[in-house]
Amino acid sequence: MIWDLKKYTAFRKTTILLFSVVFFFASAAATMELSAQKKFSKIYPASKNVRLQLTNRSGTVTVEGWDRDEINISAYLEAPAANIVPQSLSGTIYLNIVKDNQGKKEVGNVNFLIKVPYHASVDIETMMGNLNVSNVRGGLVRAHISTEGDITLTNIAAGAVSAENVIGDIFYDGTIETEGNYRFTSTRGNINLRIPFNSSFKMVATAPSTRNISLGDFGNSSMKFLSDGRRVVGQAGDGSAAISVTNQRGSISFIRR
Amino acid sequence: MNCEYCQELISVYLDNELDVQVASDVRMHLAACAACAKVCEDFAMILDFCDLDETEHSLPPNSKALWCRINNLIETEVASEIPRDIKEEKPKRGWQFSFGQVFASILGIALVSSLLTVVGVKNYSASDVSATNTPSIFDRALSKIGLVETPQLARENRVREQQAAIEYWNKRVEAKRANWNNYLREAFDRNLSEINQVVFEYDRILEENPQDDLSNEMLDSALNEKMALLREFSEL
Repeated sequence: MIWDLKKYTAFRKTTILLFSVVFFFASAAATMELSAQKKFSKIYPASKNVRLQLTNRSGTVTVEGWDRDEINISAYLEAPAANIVPQSLSGTIYLNIVKDNQGKKEVGNVNFLIKVPYHASVDIETMMGNLNVSNVRGGLVRAHISTEGDITLTNIAAGAVSAENVIGDIFYDGTIETEGNYRFTSTRGNINLRIPFNSSFKMVATAPSTRNISLGDFGNSSMKFLSDGRRVVGQAGDGSAAISVTNQRGSISFIRR
Repeated sequence: MNCEYCQELISVYLDNELDVQVASDVRMHLAACAACAKVCEDFAMILDFCDLDETEHSLPPNSKALWCRINNLIETEVASEIPRDIKEEKPKRGWQFSFGQVFASILGIALVSSLLTVVGVKNYSASDVSATNTPSIFDRALSKIGLVETPQLARENRVREQQAAIEYWNKRVEAKRANWNNYLREAFDRNLSEINQVVFEYDRILEENPQDDLSNEMLDSALNEKMALLREFSEL
């Protein structure tokens, strides 16, 4: 019995020691990882017609509208960290990660979280990665991905909206403004547009490969399927706005908001 | 006495109305000059013929030839009266055309101006080409002579230009891609391959049906996308 107690005590000490070692190395690894991701922050005062123009290389960009007259840029830089040199010129905030890191062999992802006033115009593009824009009611919202990544535009009320990628989904949830211009283009992915039922627009939707164009509640007698169902042309309401949707190898869906 | 003067007097001479002296001169000249003698002979024949009562019933054996000779004679006389310097002048070039020439010119001008109008109208409305699928026979005829660019020809030209630009950007990308990391290289290749597949599909469709406007449009869009992708990656 005494021998058993000694054995138990030794086993307990060994276990505690082992856990301590594991915990130490785990903490060290976490600290190293944290130190590898740098953070960049900057705040700019915003004028009435402020515009954000961002060109990223790779990473996720999230732009959110808020009720402050300032632009808050937070960037999380993965190793090897990219250079960021923002510029503010005539009411436009420029960030060009491609230009700022031209010729660099290795550049880590840069993940942006940017807060802009509701009325700001947003023009963002990236070579790779997702783009998210929400709660923006400015004149322009443009999201362009050179290669692959999803584009999500939610709660948007802009007169000019453009979203373009090669591989990835595009989701638009917003209003269709009178005399507005809306353009969505993808090569492979799904394009979903969630718009108010009472929207007025002229539309050209083209899905030549899949012929998968779903008009949902927006199907009416003026909507015509052309070219063997590869294209739909039509009008809703008085047709004041213009919507152009092209998906080379994917589907297009209109959803009532 | 010269021939000219002699021939002027022949008619009066035959009527025996000349002075004796002048008549003698004429006679002498006629004896010496075969040409004037011949003229005299002809005049005499004419007078004899006119003297006949029943002219209409007794035409000379070859009246046509006779009138021809008279005509020739008159022409010879007229020609001899024209001064040498005038005779040697080159004929003046004037704006005198025959009715046929004028008619042909008007017809030609009308044809050319209608052709130019049609070409102008066609070119002006080139932006609406998508509305017309099949080129008319007239369009094809104009395109044969190089006056109008058919949609197919326009597409081929545009594709050629795009391919040239793509080749240029592709060379630049090839020079740069060695500096990219694997992740970027794979993403680029994946997306380029996706676009290439689209281009291939439309090329195939257009080979079967060159008049498919939608495929033309989509091919154009895909090639532009490819160009943009190459350009952006060449700037890295």
